[in-house]
Amino acid sequence: MSVVIRNVRILSPNSSLHQATEIGIEKGLFVDPTTIKDAQVVDGQGGLLIPGLIDCRVNLREPGLEHKGTIASETQAAIAGGVTSVVATPTTDPVVDSPADVRLVLERAKASGLCRVLPTAMLTQGGQGHHLSEMAALVDAGCVALAQGNRPFGSRKIELNALKYAQSLGVGVILDSEDSDFAGGCAHAGQIGTGLGLSLNPPLSETLGLGADLDLVEATGVNAHFSRITTKNSVERIKAAKARGLQITCDVTIAHLIYSEHAIVNLDPNFHLERPLRTEEDRRALIAGVIDGTIDVIVSDHSPHEPGAKLAPFPETDQGMSMSEGMIQSLIELDKQGELPLENSLDAMTLRAARLINRTDLGCIQYGNSADCVLIDPDDQTHFDPTTWLSAGANSPLLGKTLPGRVLGTWISGQHFPR
Amino acid sequence: MQGPAALQLTPDGRLKHLLTTEGLSQSLITELLDTAETFLSSQGQPVKKVPLLRGKTVVNLFFENSTRTRTTFDIAAHRLSADVVTLDIRTSSASKGETLFDTLKNLEAMQADLFVVRHSAGGAPFFIADRVTPNIAVINAGDGTHAHPTQALLDLMTIRKHKGDPANLSVAIVGDLKHSRVARSLIHGLRGMGCPDIRAIGPGTLLSGDLGHLGVQSFNRIEDGLNGVDVVVLLRLQKERMSSALLPSEREFFNLYGMTESRLQLADDNAIVMHPGPINRGVEIANEVADGPQAVILDQVTNGIAIRMAVMAMTLSTQQESQS
Repeated sequence: MSVVIRNVRILSPNSSLHQATEIGIEKGLFVDPTTIKDAQVVDGQGGLLIPGLIDCRVNLREPGLEHKGTIASETQAAIAGGVTSVVATPTTDPVVDSPADVRLVLERAKASGLCRVLPTAMLTQGGQGHHLSEMAALVDAGCVALAQGNRPFGSRKIELNALKYAQSLGVGVILDSEDSDFAGGCAHAGQIGTGLGLSLNPPLSETLGLGADLDLVEATGVNAHFSRITTKNSVERIKAAKARGLQITCDVTIAHLIYSEHAIVNLDPNFHLERPLRTEEDRRALIAGVIDGTIDVIVSDHSPHEPGAKLAPFPETDQGMSMSEGMIQSLIELDKQGELPLENSLDAMTLRAARLINRTDLGCIQYGNSADCVLIDPDDQTHFDPTTWLSAGANSPLLGKTLPGRVLGTWISGQHFPR
Repeated sequence: MQGPAALQLTPDGRLKHLLTTEGLSQSLITELLDTAETFLSSQGQPVKKVPLLRGKTVVNLFFENSTRTRTTFDIAAHRLSADVVTLDIRTSSASKGETLFDTLKNLEAMQADLFVVRHSAGGAPFFIADRVTPNIAVINAGDGTHAHPTQALLDLMTIRKHKGDPANLSVAIVGDLKHSRVARSLIHGLRGMGCPDIRAIGPGTLLSGDLGHLGVQSFNRIEDGLNGVDVVVLLRLQKERMSSALLPSEREFFNLYGMTESRLQLADDNAIVMHPGPINRGVEIANEVADGPQAVILDQVTNGIAIRMAVMAMTLSTQQESQS
């Protein structure tokens, strides 16, 4: 069925259709609406039509962690947050490190029939950091990148070999830079975490890891993406590395753009994250990094958990928050607060994210591209209520809150998901 | 709720749990210290028995090893005529996989009135206080490196008894402030009481970065920090500080920071020397100081019972009034 969406304002800055008021969809692609005959007409009610968000770091929890979430539940949550493609982390149980695992994820995603799922796999077998994964076979099976997640490499030598091998295959790698000696603390080593007597994670844990990783990336020439940077210092280092010509990219989580270390002052376990929330100065530097392009991509780092995982004293709870469901609303909120213009944050979650995963057919509303788009009313609002919450993980600071912006409908490869 | 400290107060500012000394007002601390003094006899010993908590059940929930603190809570509860149940959780349900939350719900069902909690995780007593039924009081008996409020209050009581109003005193805390819940709680308590001069003395590896924010002046040389102080608080040095390479040896610590008679002369002539115990002779403190006239370490232990009686009595009376 062909569709024409009328009475909208298209927000897709790099497209010739930016600011256009209608778009056609046929056979899963965007087309010139004037060329379609017998189209179903959708009235966009004057809303904004944006390219579907691409979320480059989502924990879908399948296989093995279905008590925390499933591909079906979490992709449904993603759609509610304006997300049409998710890059799935490989840190499941077992981890994704074989073509069979990759196919399993893809089949589950297909069976769910919701948003586009792009798998990643571990760089090393079992994520153990010792033996290289069959990277070529993993890419063949459909992986968009290889990652080591939050698991350390057995040694810097093994890491060097993994990066070198990936480079020779032309595969991109995703690195979580962290020095294992300093990792593990549950709060930023600042005034708040120290005052609460929590185990601490100093910025040095990231800086030392990033410094070493940058050297290895430079030595191998691999196409590397640094995920979840949290400090001003990291922004500066990546900026400098890009300036001297390194082909690297990086991302920041939505939580680190919204919150600083002050969020943990009430010991709310939802703010217990793998990468601790840092200072207000760091938060501002991260926002500036998104605006000036040093930080390429914004991710949700969506991490749903079962209720029991957060029902313990702060340091003993599982890390991560469930955020997919409020991505576009959070971006609109940051815009309305004057913190981060929507134009920049959208760019980070559409065009730049598409570039990261080498999908030129995504992230831009343009004739011939995959018809992935989201219709939103930026002047309405979304109330995040436990009774209508879609993610299996209720571990979210969004719950009980009302944010600006409302998703009116989503199209993924032309398939309509009404809200 | 503004900070976890707010959990321990009723809307009209009365104490329903004791979780931290952070944010406690001068008047509330004074009320606690005054109440504790009423539990001391004319000889300065805690009264033997009062019927204040008759029919009440106090549960000692110790998730972390402690003999001394637990004993003083036991004695305090018995002297208030409460029934006392002690659960050493390390050897019971926690090792069988029961979560803290479930343990808690079971104890609630057993009609406990007050939980005394010690836990290795910072914030655990807050988690418990936040989730217990409203008629149960929670007292923090030490959580991770976060807080140890009854120790801080007994220290304040000892200071006030020997030296008067902390608002006129200089207090030096010596040793491992970085890992010390005792030091952190004492600092908050001293600030609450308006103490204008709090000093931290130790090597860089044992002083934490947030001391400046707490209004504490840091000194690496003990000779600089002790000058003219009225109160010297020594902290216990844990053996694991050596294995984690924060210090070379106990001997070097004693040479640099051990409280000797000659160092004590740098403090005010009438300065008192305190220690939360148990003391390591020849590490934090020289024998002649530990046994000398300026040490008030055993008096701290005595005051500890009175303070714990006061805290139990006050929190339970708040709970009782809010029920009626």
